[in-house]
Amino acid sequence: MPVRRVVITLLIIGPLLALLAYGFTRDSHYIVSPLLAKPATPFTLKLFDGRDLNLADLRGKAVFLNFWASWCVPCREEAHELEAAWQKIKDKNMIFVGVAVQDTDQNALEFLKEFNISYPNGKDETAKIAVDYGTWGIPESFFIDPQGRITYKHVGGIRAALVVSKLEDAAKSIVSAQEGKGDYSAVK
Amino acid sequence: MKLTRARRVLALFLLLGSIVHRLDAASAPDLEDQTRAIATELRCVVCQNLSVADSPSEMAQQMRAIVREQLEAGKSPDQIKDFFVSKYGEWVLLKPRTTGFSALLWILPYVVLGLGVIAALWVIQRWVRKKQVISDRPMQPAVSQQLSGEPLGDEFPQPDLDDDSHKARLLRERIRLQHELADLDFDFQAGKLSESDYVALKQEIEAKAASVVQEISSLPPEPAKPIRKPASASSRHQQSTSAPLQRWKIIAGGTFLLVFGLVLGVMLTKAARPRGSENDTITGDFLTGTTPGSPEVRAALDEGKQAFEKQDFPKAIEAFKTVLANEPNNPEAHSYMGFILVQAGHGDGALMAFDKALSQAPNFPMALWGKGMVLYQDKKDYAGARAVFERLLNLIPPGEERNEVVKVLAEIPASGGIPNRSAVAEKNPGAVSPVSAQITGKITIDPKLQGSVDPNAALFIIARPATGAGGPPLAVKKIDRPSFPVDFTLSQENVMMPGVPFAGKINITARLDKDGNPVTRTPGDISGDYRKNPIEVGTKNVDVVIDQIMK
Repeated sequence: MPVRRVVITLLIIGPLLALLAYGFTRDSHYIVSPLLAKPATPFTLKLFDGRDLNLADLRGKAVFLNFWASWCVPCREEAHELEAAWQKIKDKNMIFVGVAVQDTDQNALEFLKEFNISYPNGKDETAKIAVDYGTWGIPESFFIDPQGRITYKHVGGIRAALVVSKLEDAAKSIVSAQEGKGDYSAVK
Repeated sequence: MKLTRARRVLALFLLLGSIVHRLDAASAPDLEDQTRAIATELRCVVCQNLSVADSPSEMAQQMRAIVREQLEAGKSPDQIKDFFVSKYGEWVLLKPRTTGFSALLWILPYVVLGLGVIAALWVIQRWVRKKQVISDRPMQPAVSQQLSGEPLGDEFPQPDLDDDSHKARLLRERIRLQHELADLDFDFQAGKLSESDYVALKQEIEAKAASVVQEISSLPPEPAKPIRKPASASSRHQQSTSAPLQRWKIIAGGTFLLVFGLVLGVMLTKAARPRGSENDTITGDFLTGTTPGSPEVRAALDEGKQAFEKQDFPKAIEAFKTVLANEPNNPEAHSYMGFILVQAGHGDGALMAFDKALSQAPNFPMALWGKGMVLYQDKKDYAGARAVFERLLNLIPPGEERNEVVKVLAEIPASGGIPNRSAVAEKNPGAVSPVSAQITGKITIDPKLQGSVDPNAALFIIARPATGAGGPPLAVKKIDRPSFPVDFTLSQENVMMPGVPFAGKINITARLDKDGNPVTRTPGDISGDYRKNPIEVGTKNVDVVIDQIMK
């Protein structure tokens, strides 16, 4: 009889404790994106040099799409890495696109100048593109395959080696099993 | 006549039409209301504890704009919510859907409630049935008489507490009722009950007890059941075997509770922590994968130190906040934050930061140095400062730094009072300027900016070295809620870095700061430079006009 009672008590309390323990392992701020392996939403970005960039025009290329802001510390940390990665792959069938969010033109341009960023960059004035890609932290990066499908997402700062590796995967339409994570700031 | 009637019908029709139209217009929800209604159901992706409607964040504003735009485009509320769900997942809905897996969230509470009600009913039913079994028996006066004459105590067979048989329950009930009778007698003798109540209650209990006794006597004997009789030798033997079992149960239960408490405590302290910044979460460490000493943390620490050296304090603060978000007890980051707070003139905050660093690393020289200087320069706590510096002296090897500590220790007076600065000045004339070295003047507001004056703002009068290299101010004076014109004096006691003399060529600036934080510059703050900058220390009538709005 006592053994039965203990077993019943454990059966009730055990799952609740397991649920509690699982809850402690979760970062409540983290939003898992439902966009992995889904088609990338098309957009037109007004670049800082005045040109318009259409995502649809980039079909056939692997695309690295990076959301950033000049006020974001991890963005500063990754800026050199991104430019280094761009220099490595710019002659391949791949392209980088930078999207500044929640930023002023002046600060964004100073940022690009400070880090000698040479790949196309523009500003998402209304945050429409940011919302279309479900961004909530800065920086966030998306890798899009030549067919226009998102193959990998990385929240937070990213290193050049990972950018190149994931872009090569994207070029082969290899979808990563899960998104990556580095240091990030929440958007404002 | 017909025409008149037709006109009246037409007029009535038009009138009705107009009313219907107005009613339609009144019943159609306003676009703003619709936007708000949808935004209320969406979770702000930045703050997360607020809805998009309630959050003041920029992201929420942009999300509201998207909701409004989609409403204008003719999308239904469900379509708009679907749009956000497609981007952020079900998470973005403050009210989970009632379909699919989310339906569990709605159903489970009712299932649990239902199970609880069923369990409660079952327990009550068992209890009532047991009571009925006991009370419904007819009473035999002879048995009742026998019962009232029976003594209380341990002479009755003691059923095992784990024995759930009918007979054991009856035995337990009999003992309970006898105790109840004893209590009743005691209450009556103590004068707590009237005689009539006592008699009535006694009869009632005796009746119940008698029926129990009667039923026990009518039951067949159960030799196999372990029934304890404490008075007898055999029951003593049984008790001696069951007592260790009971003890084992208590020990096991206690151990389980202790282990559970420890695990919970460890997990809570490991998983929860104070927010290091607005962007930080309350969870961290190994449970969320942010381990101390990670390359990211080291990079942020290096970045902070570099920014500090370059006197880019906002950048340094951000970097150290990042470090502290991942390693809330990093003594180096706390120490640097302390020095930044010293720069900003927040002695108390600086002291707190140094203490945090020392709570983790009691012999951290940088924190000891900072704490000592704050105690000495800001708090005038000479005894405290002396103790800190003496501790520091024991930690650092001979060299320039040690000499510096010795020098400061010599400077601190042995007892309370103002530090003997003149003596120090004699020993080290370059280190501290004479008390007479000061700048005096007046701060006024340009008439065209009178409307921009925030009555709650703080005025900072800032003296910077006129080297053109930027960097932190040499001296700062803060005046809360100033009343213009403001007369001011800047002197050695306003110098930010301990030991730096208030001397040389200086640029004077005044800034009326809305948030009262000298480190941040908010658009809308107003400021002004002295027109004859740079000036020498000792200049009088330095009249600064605040005439610029910061963007």
